[in-house]
Amino acid sequence: MKLAGLKSKENAHEESIWAATWVPATESRPALLLTGSLDETVRLWRSDELELQVTNTGHCLGVVSVAAHPSGVIAASASLDSFVRVFDVDTNATISTLEAPPSEVWKMQFDPKGTILAVAGGGSLSIKLWDTATWKLVATLSVPRPEGSNKPADRSGSSKFVLSVAWSPDGKRLACGSMDGTISIFDVARAKFLHHLEGHFMPVRSLAYSPVDPRVLFTASDDTHIHIYDAEGKSMIGAMSGHASWVLSLDVSPDGAAVASGSSDRTVRLWDLNMRAAVQTMSNHTDQVWAVAFRPPGGTGVRAGRLASVSDDKSISLYDYS
Amino acid sequence: MASVYIPVQNSEEEVRVSLEQLPRDASDILDILKAEQAPLDLWLVIAREYFKQGKIEQFRQILEEGSSPEIDEYYADVKYERIAILNALGAYYSYLGKVETKQREKDDHFILATQYYNKASRIDMHEPSTWIGKGQLLLAKGDLDQASAAFKIVLDDNRDDNRDNVPALLGQACVLFNRGRYSDSLELYKRALQVHPNCPASVRLGIGLCRYKMGQFEKARQAFKRALQLDPENVEALVALGIMDLQTNEADETWKGMEKMQKAFEIYPYCAMALNYLANHFFFTGQHFLVEQLTETALAVSSLGLMKSHSYYNLARSYHSKGDYEKAGMYYMASVKECNKPHDFVLPYFGLGQVQLKWGDFRSSLSNFEKVLEVYPENCETLKVIGHIYVQLSQTEKALEVLRKATKIDPRDAQAFLELGELLIQSDAGAALDAFRTARGLLKKNGGEVPIELLNNIGVLHFERGEFELAEQTFREALGDGVWLSFLDGKVHSPPVDSDASSRQYNDLQFFRRLEEEGIAVDLPWDKVTTLFNHARLLEQLHDNEKASILYKLILFKYPDYIDAYLRLAAIAKARNNTQLSIELIGDALKVNDRCPNALSMLGTLELKSDDWLKAKDTFRAAREATDGKDSYATLALGNWNYYAALRSEKRGPKLEATHLEKAKELYTKVLVQHPSNFYAANGAAVVLAEKGQFDVSKDIFTQVQEAASGNIFVQMPDVWINVAHVYFAQGHFALAVKMYQNCLRKFYYNTDTQVLLYLARTHYEAEQWQDCKKTLLRAIHLAPSNYTLRFDAGVAMQKFSMFTLQKTKKTADEVRSTVAELKNAVRVFSQLSTASSLHYHGFDEKKIETHVGYCKHLLDAAKVHHEAAEREEQQNRQRLELARQVNLAEEARRKAEEQRKLQLEKRKQEDLLKQVRQQEENFKRVKEQWRSTEPASKRKERSQMEDEDGRGEKRRRKGGKRRKRDKKSRFEMGETEGDMMDGEMEDDDAYMNNEDDGNRINDQEDDRADNNAQVLAAAGLEDSDAEDDAGAPSSNINRRRRAWSESDDDEPSVRQLEASPTRENSAEFPGSDGEA
Repeated sequence: MKLAGLKSKENAHEESIWAATWVPATESRPALLLTGSLDETVRLWRSDELELQVTNTGHCLGVVSVAAHPSGVIAASASLDSFVRVFDVDTNATISTLEAPPSEVWKMQFDPKGTILAVAGGGSLSIKLWDTATWKLVATLSVPRPEGSNKPADRSGSSKFVLSVAWSPDGKRLACGSMDGTISIFDVARAKFLHHLEGHFMPVRSLAYSPVDPRVLFTASDDTHIHIYDAEGKSMIGAMSGHASWVLSLDVSPDGAAVASGSSDRTVRLWDLNMRAAVQTMSNHTDQVWAVAFRPPGGTGVRAGRLASVSDDKSISLYDYS
Repeated sequence: MASVYIPVQNSEEEVRVSLEQLPRDASDILDILKAEQAPLDLWLVIAREYFKQGKIEQFRQILEEGSSPEIDEYYADVKYERIAILNALGAYYSYLGKVETKQREKDDHFILATQYYNKASRIDMHEPSTWIGKGQLLLAKGDLDQASAAFKIVLDDNRDDNRDNVPALLGQACVLFNRGRYSDSLELYKRALQVHPNCPASVRLGIGLCRYKMGQFEKARQAFKRALQLDPENVEALVALGIMDLQTNEADETWKGMEKMQKAFEIYPYCAMALNYLANHFFFTGQHFLVEQLTETALAVSSLGLMKSHSYYNLARSYHSKGDYEKAGMYYMASVKECNKPHDFVLPYFGLGQVQLKWGDFRSSLSNFEKVLEVYPENCETLKVIGHIYVQLSQTEKALEVLRKATKIDPRDAQAFLELGELLIQSDAGAALDAFRTARGLLKKNGGEVPIELLNNIGVLHFERGEFELAEQTFREALGDGVWLSFLDGKVHSPPVDSDASSRQYNDLQFFRRLEEEGIAVDLPWDKVTTLFNHARLLEQLHDNEKASILYKLILFKYPDYIDAYLRLAAIAKARNNTQLSIELIGDALKVNDRCPNALSMLGTLELKSDDWLKAKDTFRAAREATDGKDSYATLALGNWNYYAALRSEKRGPKLEATHLEKAKELYTKVLVQHPSNFYAANGAAVVLAEKGQFDVSKDIFTQVQEAASGNIFVQMPDVWINVAHVYFAQGHFALAVKMYQNCLRKFYYNTDTQVLLYLARTHYEAEQWQDCKKTLLRAIHLAPSNYTLRFDAGVAMQKFSMFTLQKTKKTADEVRSTVAELKNAVRVFSQLSTASSLHYHGFDEKKIETHVGYCKHLLDAAKVHHEAAEREEQQNRQRLELARQVNLAEEARRKAEEQRKLQLEKRKQEDLLKQVRQQEENFKRVKEQWRSTEPASKRKERSQMEDEDGRGEKRRRKGGKRRKRDKKSRFEMGETEGDMMDGEMEDDDAYMNNEDDGNRINDQEDDRADNNAQVLAAAGLEDSDAEDDAGAPSSNINRRRRAWSESDDDEPSVRQLEASPTRENSAEFPGSDGEA
């Protein structure tokens, strides 16, 4: 289990890069890397050379999140102005523009089947679910307010402000992380809140289910820790520490054996889940690493594992994962 | 059977007196002697016989009778015998005087002896035996010169063969020996031996002693052996041989030597020398009872100072080793008194020094050791002790010098390097580390075990120098094998935690119990606790808090009273914002010791964090009382408390504010008086100054603190950077302020602190760098999405930017277009805020947002006009170009026609053109006028809006500024508690706390700057450093060290344990912490 640097693209955007995801391969083309930046553009890159395929404009304020449909045909990008733009990956034609005021938009993810787009709704304390056929809002999953929340105003921001979402690999569960560190688990089919997972007390900006075990959830928090939860059993299986600052993003390798994380401490770390320890630290970035993403398997003749990371330093880095 | 025959007067008969059977009463014999008028030589014979038989009284009686005046008269012509009798008496009294220990009686005896000799001299001036007697008497009295003169008279007398008078030769030899002229003395002894080959053993003894003194040990030995052959009971020869055996330092010989001593003791139990040596022997075999008996006897029989000194020394040493320091000290003192010159016998000085060290009488001790050093200037042990005493007397420089000398003299003395290292810890960590490493190398080379304390120290020093890998290696080496390895290597993980775990402690306990059940020995030897703790601290520094936590828990499992482990766990919990758990853990710590100042300070900080002001104040007070006000942290915390109390009050009573500020200043000053180099106090004081507008002074202080703080990896003082930046800002140096904020963000916060980003944005705003301002705010929003204030600020920035662009006299259509886009964004941001405000409170007035929305929309309308105008202008430009092209074309066509007509036509056309242009210009002017008329309106409106906000806004802003300060402080408090535990970890402050106010601050920046200046100074986060820990630690070492010293035995210094174990983290127990700037 190791990472080897393949390519670094300096000044890939004109400003900090805040979001990245892989668009799965289609029959006509291999997988592409999709990035979003403070410079208000969304860009598509061909691996492994990180060749710029296309630059999408149209967003105002910074692009905070990007998501790709499992089919690889469509993708979504969201910016600080709370618009979600859904577009055709290959033609860049806008398919739809989503907005659910007064809800902001933070992290988004398509469900594994590709029928629903889940969007973290920030201050609306909810996850918005959009039907990918009609692009209509189909459900709002609200995080229950903490019991006895007679504090009228959580001005300090330690509220249940929803920052991040993750689908379980079987598509039955949806997890979301909040500013105050609590994680909420929802039963999607019944649109029902199940329970909280506790342990973090600072914002959880990224979370991901294990692709091999639908019970296991990994969470990244500003408290510098990565927690491993049994999302069904409500218990914390373990915690991994090592980052010097906030853990901003996290992704699980397709084989489920490793987790990659990006942090404000400017490093990308690779964690061995058996040892529960960092086995590798990449320090090629010179500023906060806002996103890490493993390339999904599949596509023509592409077996090699790839990990991409993007950073405030405006660069994209690509690693070989083996 | 020997007899004497006393001739009966006037007859041929003789009375036979058997010498073996002399009557007990000497008077019987005397009667016979007198009655028969026996020759005087018979008197002498009989007296001598009595003497031989030990009947001293009879001996004296006969001789005294024999020297009485009537005898003198009667035997007036018998000179020689009378002299012999007198000399015998003189010799007898000389001897008495010599052995007598009491000075007074001694003198009496000597006077008597002198009288007899003088009497003998009066009979015959030239009798050599009298002179010899006199010489010996003088010798006994220690009057070497006169004795020598007396012997010389005999030897120089040429009448007889006195030149070779043996007793005189011996006497003179003795004089010479005592004068240290050994070879001359030896010559005389040799001459005596030649003259009188059968002379007694004592001559051989004299030869032996001379040879010994001259260093001819083999010949000396032969002489002593010969003496023993002649007289097997010669104690002196035995002792001398014994000493020589002992000095060979070989086990066999030593044993033989001791046998000889024992024999000597059996022959004559009062030989002080033998007694001393025996005592010395029994001291080493540990038979202290015998030591005391022997030395007491030796003391009783000896009058010689040096000998007594030895005896006292033996006694003292015996008591010393038994731990009876009082008696030991007394006897050492006596020993020292007996021999006034350290050069003769230096050991008691060393012993006395040790005992005085034990008593804490450093100065006397020092002077004694210095005497030792005079004799042995290169003695490492002494140098080390002296170094140690200098440390105690806080004369670090001298101590260093002495210890450096010691290590130079013996570069293989691990102990000296250890000492040196410990001394250097405070002043020069690098040199200390070198010394420790040398010590470790030496210990390893000698195959000795490297003490865990040394490894611990090396590890800590590496740690402090930021050499984490080396530190880790060292700690691991120190810890060796144990259960911790399975935690460190990730073989055993902390247990899964149920989301609603009932009891944390129960959980931990269960975990370790389970490990034990699984057959893993959960042991933690006491001497490894400190190192384990330090290792855990290192892991924390390396951000591996999980492993660190498990180690702390292990410590607590085995040693539930280890407060520091609770505090570290609490600090970790606090860093993760788990306030509840943190308070619980501190509760546990306080259960162990409810007056632990560190725990109290931390509790106070936590209470402050949860906004429990009054409680926090009480807690800080308790912390301060717990250390009798010596703990600068608690004082500082109170100072901070007052500082932000001054700025907190919503109503802002200026009086109250002033009182609090004054109080804060007083408290900071108090700390500064105690610890002039405390960063935090300096920073706090500077903040108060800045608050009062004295920017220059405060900037100086901030800069100094900043410089000082940048040298220590444990001191993290971002606040002072921020404060410097604030001062720059307040003085209008925006570029410098921006740089300072950016550096601070990058250096201390990994660019994650939105508060500093906000400061940065504000600086950009003031500097009219709108795009930078907006970008900075967007970054801040991205970091703190739930902070709506930032959105508001972003909206304001965009609005301001648009306004600014529209007011420009020259602008391109592109500029106008982007302005319009920006305005649309602003409108969207404001309207989102307005709708969101119904959802949750975020602190702004809805009306105000509405105003902003309205204003932006208005601007948007205005912009539309601009937009149209700009576009029209663009179009016109295009048209103009088109026209010009047409003109050209026409001209070309006309060229083909007549010249004249062409000119006329052209003229007319040009007139037309001019007219057209004028018209267009007029049109444009009209548009411009229209535009101008709208502008004042907008300005007015803006102003009104500003004014509208002013009253409220300003108040808010102030409050905001102050709150910020409070946050900063809370950070500082945190840090300090941790600082005590040797880390300078940063605590995240609650950056979101007061954002709504900051929004206003930015919003009203139109106001005059000076007014603002005072408020923007964020207060100081006063982090504590660890520099201070060191101050505590060494003293603990030293205590231990002192014990080590005084327990050690001077004669076997190598036995001394390497006891010094500086447990650095112990320093947490030493409250007097102060940052050394």
